[in-house]
Amino acid sequence: MMSPEQFLYHEAQLMDEMRFAEWFALWLEGGTYKVPIDHDDDGSRLRVAIINDDYIRLQQRIDRLQSGSVLAVEDARGAMRRIVSNVVVTSDDESGMTVESNFMLGIARTAEQQLWMGRSFYELRREADGFRIASKRVHLINSRREIPLLQFLV
Amino acid sequence: MTTDVKESLLPSGALVDGPRVHGSAYRDPDIFQRELERIWYKVWVYVGHESEVPNRGDFVRRQIGLQPVLMVRGDDDKVRVFYNRCRHRANLVCLAETGNAQKFVCPYHAWSYANTGELLEPTFDEGYDYDLDKSRFPLVEVARQDSYRGLVFASVAPEGITLTEHLGPVSEFIDMFMGLSPEGEIALDAGCQKVRYKGNWKYMPENSMEGDYHGPFIHKIAFELYARSSGLDVSALHEEEIPDVIRSLPGGHMVEDYRGAPLSKRPGEPSAARKEYAAKMIEHHGEALATQMMGTMAPLLFVFPNMMYVMTHIRTVQPVSVGETNSYYYPVMLKGVPDEINAARLSDHQFMFGSAGFVSPDDVEIMERNQIGMKAVGDDWLFIGRGEHRERDMPDGGRSGFTMDETHLRGFWRHYVSLMEGDA
Repeated sequence: MMSPEQFLYHEAQLMDEMRFAEWFALWLEGGTYKVPIDHDDDGSRLRVAIINDDYIRLQQRIDRLQSGSVLAVEDARGAMRRIVSNVVVTSDDESGMTVESNFMLGIARTAEQQLWMGRSFYELRREADGFRIASKRVHLINSRREIPLLQFLV
Repeated sequence: MTTDVKESLLPSGALVDGPRVHGSAYRDPDIFQRELERIWYKVWVYVGHESEVPNRGDFVRRQIGLQPVLMVRGDDDKVRVFYNRCRHRANLVCLAETGNAQKFVCPYHAWSYANTGELLEPTFDEGYDYDLDKSRFPLVEVARQDSYRGLVFASVAPEGITLTEHLGPVSEFIDMFMGLSPEGEIALDAGCQKVRYKGNWKYMPENSMEGDYHGPFIHKIAFELYARSSGLDVSALHEEEIPDVIRSLPGGHMVEDYRGAPLSKRPGEPSAARKEYAAKMIEHHGEALATQMMGTMAPLLFVFPNMMYVMTHIRTVQPVSVGETNSYYYPVMLKGVPDEINAARLSDHQFMFGSAGFVSPDDVEIMERNQIGMKAVGDDWLFIGRGEHRERDMPDGGRSGFTMDETHLRGFWRHYVSLMEGDA
């Protein structure tokens, strides 16, 4: 089976290369995807997030990004690369593992290059053909600040 | 922000010529400076809602124009707006965005202030003249402050029209979205999404109050996804234009009034929570009004110069410079409704809004491209003439147009010019 590092590198490549359908196929049905504003937002109260997708909403996100009609995606192909690092496996058993990693993402969709950074928290399930993402949570270092558009995958 | 073209500051009256707006209004740093003086430091500016500071000592950091302020609920339960500046050497008294403080202690030399504003003690005060009068150095309150239904406004100018006069007929539309709560009360307690874009601040209110004209073009996929998932088709709004939807009000306020545009009925049996909500609305508003309110979209509104209510949230616009702007999206939670109703509002909000939403990012992308397009000055006039021939005067002193008309923009700019031109 693929190591967690190899899985995360593969996921990063799919996100960078805007291979949306392949990325979505990495998810377990019913998976959840959250980018909170406050990193301690545990979902116990109604709090607005940057992204708070259940599996249906995530499918919609992918459908939209793939539609070819999202202005903020125009001209983005080839303009994104990220480094995934500081990988820590925080728990591991036969059903799956929890993994954390840092990322640093550069985007050069316009002449002005953007830098995004954060730490990602995964719950991965072992399936016959490899890992599936049961949940992913991303803590952006600038989540509490005024941020530009986030019309890509983190 | 640099501009490629040497601007010549027009006489401000010439920024608008009939249904045409001059591009320099979005681009010229001198005009931006004039806006600070004539608009942001003169008129009533929305600061925040009282529900953001529910307890004594609660505070939020905000800005009026470029000036940092604090909205604080003092130990006397009164909500005040202070300049966020120490009376000693002008340091920020408070860096935190939100919090609770018995007192504010300036980090520089530790001068401290009560949450009601009084100076508690300058430090090492034996070094000051023995008759230094502490009462001369409280946190400075913004000159005029008032509120409407918990919405706190402040004006930097010591004199001017009252808040009631400023709001005029837009207060009736504020009442309508507050009325979505059967208790008539909202809470901005679900946090805030913060967005920054490289474009002029005026794009945000202009664009936010005209979803019907640009919607079919830039939001097409989002509307399709929403219709597929909810069974609610919003495209009907674009197929046949409806009169009296787009409104300009005296004072530069703008409204999209959907009371005459019934939504398609939500398919399926309503949930227990929706039935309970409907029953409470009928109890509070009566059958006829409750049915109208729940069967149409609440009016979208813009309170000049910086506050909007848009479908799910209160939005503010905050200039950074002539070509850069911050915008803040506060989901509006309704008091006195089942949790499921607010959870659904928040879910809809996150579908549409914020940096990673499916609707407003299209708008923000347009605003950034607008700022670039505006550098081309071969003919430096924007045209906002749609529906001018058919707009009509309304009893409230405003004008109304059809769904996709630009009546609201013409009203905004008429008011803008009235503030920007002539003697201050």
